[in-house]
Amino acid sequence: MSVAISIENVVKKFGKETVIDGLSLDIKPGEFFTLLGPSGCGKTTLLRMIIGFNTIEGGQIKIDGKVINDIPTNKRNMGMVFQNYAIFPHMTVKDNIAFGLKNRKVSKDEIEKKVDEILKVVKIDHLKDRKPQKLSGGQQQRIALARAIVIHPEVLLMDEPLSNLDAKLRIEMRNAIKQIQQQVGITTVYVTHDQEEALAVSDRIAVMNGGVIQQIDTPKNIYQRPANTFVSTFIGLSNIMNGVIESNDNGKAIVRIGNYKFQMNNIKKDAGSDIPVKVSIRPEEFIINKETQEGIPVTVKNSVFLGIATHYFVVTNEGQEMEVIQNSDLEELIPNGSKIHLKLQVQKVNVFNADGSESLIDREVRL
Amino acid sequence: MKAGKKRLNIWLVITLAILALFLVFVVFPMGLILYKSVLMEDGSISFAYFTKFFSKKFYWSTLVNSFKVTIASTLVSAVLGLIMAYVLRSVKIKGSKFLNILIVISYLSPPFIGAYAWVQLLGRNGFITRILNSLFNVKLGGIYGFTGIVLVFSLQSFPLVYMYVSGALKNLDNSLNEAAESLGCTVFQRVWRIIVPLVTPTLLASSLLVFMRVFSDFGTPMLIGEGYKTFPVLLYSQFMGEVSTDDHYAAALCVIVIGITLIMFFLQKYIGNRLTYSMSALKPMEAENATGIRNILAHIFVYVVVLIAILPQLTVVVTSFLETKGASYTGQFTLENYKNILMPKNISTITNTYKFGLIAILLVVIIGVLVSYLTVRKRSFLTSILDTLTMFPYIIPGSVLGISFLYAFNKRPLLLSGTAIIVIISLCIRRMPYTIRSSTAIIGQISPSIEEAAISLGATEMKSFIKITVPMMMAGVLSGAIMSWITLISELSSSIILYTSKTQTLTVAIYAEVIRSNFGNAAAYSTILTITSIISLLIFFKVSGNNDISV
Repeated sequence: MSVAISIENVVKKFGKETVIDGLSLDIKPGEFFTLLGPSGCGKTTLLRMIIGFNTIEGGQIKIDGKVINDIPTNKRNMGMVFQNYAIFPHMTVKDNIAFGLKNRKVSKDEIEKKVDEILKVVKIDHLKDRKPQKLSGGQQQRIALARAIVIHPEVLLMDEPLSNLDAKLRIEMRNAIKQIQQQVGITTVYVTHDQEEALAVSDRIAVMNGGVIQQIDTPKNIYQRPANTFVSTFIGLSNIMNGVIESNDNGKAIVRIGNYKFQMNNIKKDAGSDIPVKVSIRPEEFIINKETQEGIPVTVKNSVFLGIATHYFVVTNEGQEMEVIQNSDLEELIPNGSKIHLKLQVQKVNVFNADGSESLIDREVRL
Repeated sequence: MKAGKKRLNIWLVITLAILALFLVFVVFPMGLILYKSVLMEDGSISFAYFTKFFSKKFYWSTLVNSFKVTIASTLVSAVLGLIMAYVLRSVKIKGSKFLNILIVISYLSPPFIGAYAWVQLLGRNGFITRILNSLFNVKLGGIYGFTGIVLVFSLQSFPLVYMYVSGALKNLDNSLNEAAESLGCTVFQRVWRIIVPLVTPTLLASSLLVFMRVFSDFGTPMLIGEGYKTFPVLLYSQFMGEVSTDDHYAAALCVIVIGITLIMFFLQKYIGNRLTYSMSALKPMEAENATGIRNILAHIFVYVVVLIAILPQLTVVVTSFLETKGASYTGQFTLENYKNILMPKNISTITNTYKFGLIAILLVVIIGVLVSYLTVRKRSFLTSILDTLTMFPYIIPGSVLGISFLYAFNKRPLLLSGTAIIVIISLCIRRMPYTIRSSTAIIGQISPSIEEAAISLGATEMKSFIKITVPMMMAGVLSGAIMSWITLISELSSSIILYTSKTQTLTVAIYAEVIRSNFGNAAAYSTILTITSIISLLIFFKVSGNNDISV
């Protein structure tokens, strides 16, 4: 019964300003799909176009092939969970959840049954007759979720539902949301600016910036094989260094950063050779080399011991500041001011063209 | 916000309907006044009436007088209100809750009742004057003219400043005080350099309200001014005068008043905007127990001010039980006065007051909520016009509104003069800006996503407005409505112009009885008004659940 959503070339204008200019994406039936991006990237705008709070100035949005551009929100049969919960403060928990059912002219007995069912699913059945005002943020969010899914919507939309909760509750609720979504099996579009949250809950993620989709992929691919430097720096932390592809023999390439040369076997065959590139290295992809002179020479500025890992803040001879993460071991921390060399886990490293807009990694290659 | 064109229609219809109402009852009468003020008898257009006003000292001196009493009273009110607010917020005063209620009551009664009560006390033949005369064997003339007017207005208006500033002080975080203290400020420096600047926008806004109220009030200078003629008195006598009335000249006078209030309004807005800070107190200032001389002085100050402020009300209530013979009291207690006003078969004065007030409040609340919803949630070119238009009555003095209504609605097809409708509409128009402003503030605090949630659950926009937004607004709107109601039943300046014997209200009756020197009846009517206000106020406290009042 789950539906597919296809967004085709949609345009959104606020007055004369075009916020989204011809965006397309497809969401599969039953998928947990996340729109991720910095604030102002257009993710909430797109979500509000899907539900109908925002008009669509061009292109179309289809649910299972049917264009919904001109269907008013209250006839779209979509459930929405809001950032500030938007619980009706003057109604009890039960009346909040029953509100949508009453609008659908469901019989009284049926409403009672459905409300009880959904209260059990979101685990707040003991709060049924309470007024929502005194309830905690997590409980209010469970009401909002129950209220949105009790109407059996074709699509569930969530707009930063966890951003008002404290850190611990956020993790608890995101697990609950993921589990309930799988249990109910609704096609879900989720908006967040929190990358960790997106990685944790999503089947697929669309990373957005400036109204444009940067990459649509699984959480694992988004993190490990970002499509450009925006994605590699927005999702997790990446150190971007200037480098050169010196030679490229059918994908087996020699890449050089400063005087440090290393071989990569997964460069695109048609990437060319003797071209400047951006090398994107995550802090945990460095290997500290204390024995030899091989690697990128850096000076340790500062270190932070965080238990599981130790973070080193280093600076290159050119003055670029970088972060290096190592699993903590029993040895003493490297003293500030030490000169060390950094080698790379070359299989994990990503290489982009000179302006960082395109990945030069061939993802077909098995390493 | 809109997805389909159909759904906008209902709101468009409401917008247009309210716009039409304001065009007929605000723009049309005001336009007519403007037109009349420059229209000569021979049909030509000229500024002759304005020249007439500004070239004869007899006329323009009233404007000077008005400015004198208004500025003096506004200054006294502002200082008194500020000090009262600060003292009551910073020092624990015994019985402060009760004092608060007394302050509000003294504000809520119409100013001219204060004037007539002070004449009873300090006039030529006043109660206190007679005591002083016999004690010191002198013959005091009593307070009339400038002093009298300023006394009445100041005591009547400082509560307004007090209420506003007190509200602002509540939002002032005590850590600001503590920070200033830790940086070496003395108490006086702290008040002068931290607290006064922070409450200045509020002080200005409330001072403007005082200014407008005092500037356009004609009852007080009429009763206590004697030879001291202010502008509203001139306006009233030009329009209602027994000897010669000149419609066009009165219209020109109206235009002059509106011009002045308009300038004041923009001046206050300009200064206010430059000085506004947004504050919200995590830890509000708390009244502390003061000790020693400071404590005693604070108590004496507060109690004396409140006593003087409430004295007119007490006078009225007491004299309502005194037997009168002509204009003087016999010294005997009696219920005769109440018998006089309640026993006749026709007590329409009292029923009119309640009826008009209730109907007006109902209309004001409905239209006010709709307008604020439209201007906050459905922003468009039309609703922004609505926003400006509905705020316009804020700067129209009551007497001007009354006069413009008589001009505009004394002919078919809009023959309304003499009817209850015209009185009710004028009450509505006068109160509308206040209700709209408070409703707008209430809607501003309701997140739009609450309505969106309702719509996403299948409700229509209208249904989500009625089932979600309106109930959420109700508590705030209701307490605002009670305050409006108290203000409306005390209204004099437009009713006095619009009333006929059939549509007389309490305030009009009080005024008429005072003019006829029937002080007993006037006092009895006033007491009924005061009791109504007190009961309404108690209901207000019950409904709003707190002791903060904004008018």
